[in-house]
Amino acid sequence: MRILSAALAAALVVTAGTASAQTKIKYALGDVLGIDDLPLLVAAERAKKRGVEVEITSFKNEDIATQAVINGQADVGQGTPYAALEKVNVPIRFFVQLWSLQFFPVVANEHYKGWKDLDGQEIAVQGRGSGTEAIMLLMAKQHGIKYKNISYVPGSQVRALAMLKGNIRATILDSTNKNFLLKEGGSKFTVLPLGNVKASDEALFARRDYLEKNQAAITVFVEELVRVNREINKDPGSMVKVRKELGLLKDLPAKLDDEIPTYFKEGVAGGIFPNDGGGENAAKSDLEFYALSGSIKKESPKIEDFWHLAPLKAALAKLK
Amino acid sequence: MRRWQLASFALFFGLWELAGRWPVSPAFPPFSSTFLAFIEMLRDGSLGKAYLVTAQPLLLGVALCALAGIAFGIGMGLSRTIEWLSLPVFIILQAAPMAAIIPLLTYMYGIGLTSKVLAVIMLAAPVIVMNSYKGIRNTPPSLLQMCRSFQGTRVQEVVKIVLPHAAALIFTGLRLGLAMGFIGIVIAELLITPTGIGDLISYHGSTADYPKMFATIASIVAVAAISLHLLQRLEQRLFP
Repeated sequence: MRILSAALAAALVVTAGTASAQTKIKYALGDVLGIDDLPLLVAAERAKKRGVEVEITSFKNEDIATQAVINGQADVGQGTPYAALEKVNVPIRFFVQLWSLQFFPVVANEHYKGWKDLDGQEIAVQGRGSGTEAIMLLMAKQHGIKYKNISYVPGSQVRALAMLKGNIRATILDSTNKNFLLKEGGSKFTVLPLGNVKASDEALFARRDYLEKNQAAITVFVEELVRVNREINKDPGSMVKVRKELGLLKDLPAKLDDEIPTYFKEGVAGGIFPNDGGGENAAKSDLEFYALSGSIKKESPKIEDFWHLAPLKAALAKLK
Repeated sequence: MRRWQLASFALFFGLWELAGRWPVSPAFPPFSSTFLAFIEMLRDGSLGKAYLVTAQPLLLGVALCALAGIAFGIGMGLSRTIEWLSLPVFIILQAAPMAAIIPLLTYMYGIGLTSKVLAVIMLAAPVIVMNSYKGIRNTPPSLLQMCRSFQGTRVQEVVKIVLPHAAALIFTGLRLGLAMGFIGIVIAELLITPTGIGDLISYHGSTADYPKMFATIASIVAVAAISLHLLQRLEQRLFP
């Protein structure tokens, strides 16, 4: 009997030990995995080695990923759903910025040459209330123009293809699809100059109670995310080597291999990968930008209503 | 409306209210706030504007199906050659998972009105064509024999016997085609580019304005159900 009790106790200790060592973060990604998700995948792999498993699930879009977090089916979501966070009656907070906005307004040369030519014309953006719409509205304000109509066409890739087919004449694309368009269309398209737009493109958010209860695991994950960004800023080509070492994105078509260093070089040049997880500065820029875009309706919004910075502060303290 | 029908609605909305207040999910609004959101959207005109945008491809698609689909169905019913050539296409279209096929339309026809009209046609056409075809084919042989025994011509046979007999089933096809058209347009507006009702659903979903999102969904369900009910009553009056 004693032997049985001892064995049972030993089994319980082992189980308890395994449970604490195998913390799982259910991560909701509102997109299919692509080149831009390499830093996330690297951080997830490294966090796993430290006992924090990040289980990434791809959803059709950011809205569904946000829903998953609101309903408690996912622990952490990726995106910038400021409008949803302001309205929903569950306290959800951002806790780290992955990268800031880097978009490229593109026009077909045949029809337009510069911003002034877009006055009274139709443009296409990602969606109503999206960051891409906010940028285009901001630019219209800065150049004193007014669009005739704004069409909503989800997916940078879809918009790039529509530009190539001539279905749309002016839009805004992400880095990968801007490069694709210029490669395929060459001199037919022009990238319009963009002023200094600083706001989160992708940030991580979770329920506040989850962040408080699981601060240790989240801190490990944030530490790894910040570490990867620092590596990229030091050497933008590093992701090529790390990807091979860890065997990530194996399904990526070979022709996109060359896009990896280009994407990260452009990103580093544009300063989109924060070395400090964004923190208070990112939060301030976001509140300003998303209030302007109409996503945040509240007058004089406060950082603490949208961000919970404790895990990031803890991670940065460990990284020093 | 009968008393028990009213009670059934009251029970449904009551349960909805309870589920929303419980709540089953933070994203599930009670009936009362959904109803208030519906009134607000009616007042600010956003719902009306959205329906005007959605109605365009829906009505265009259903009208094209009504003209070409009925003609095609009648042709299939009257001619073995047309039947042999077309029947498999419509049987496949009926069985195909359209939600998977509709996004492909953007690669061929872009993101505009054409793709949305085609989405409506792809869903509505098989039902309209197949009903017209079956209506023609189900003409009782005894009536046809009677026509022939009175030395009726082929044209008289079609105009006086076949078409009047098939009319009820053709009308049923139109009604069911409209129902499929509603499904087609909502899928297209959610999957191709968000416009009209699809835009309201996705926008209010993305901004977590769940009462407005549910109000939009409930309104399209109600509009579809009422339209079909009215058509059914018309059908009962025309073909008792």
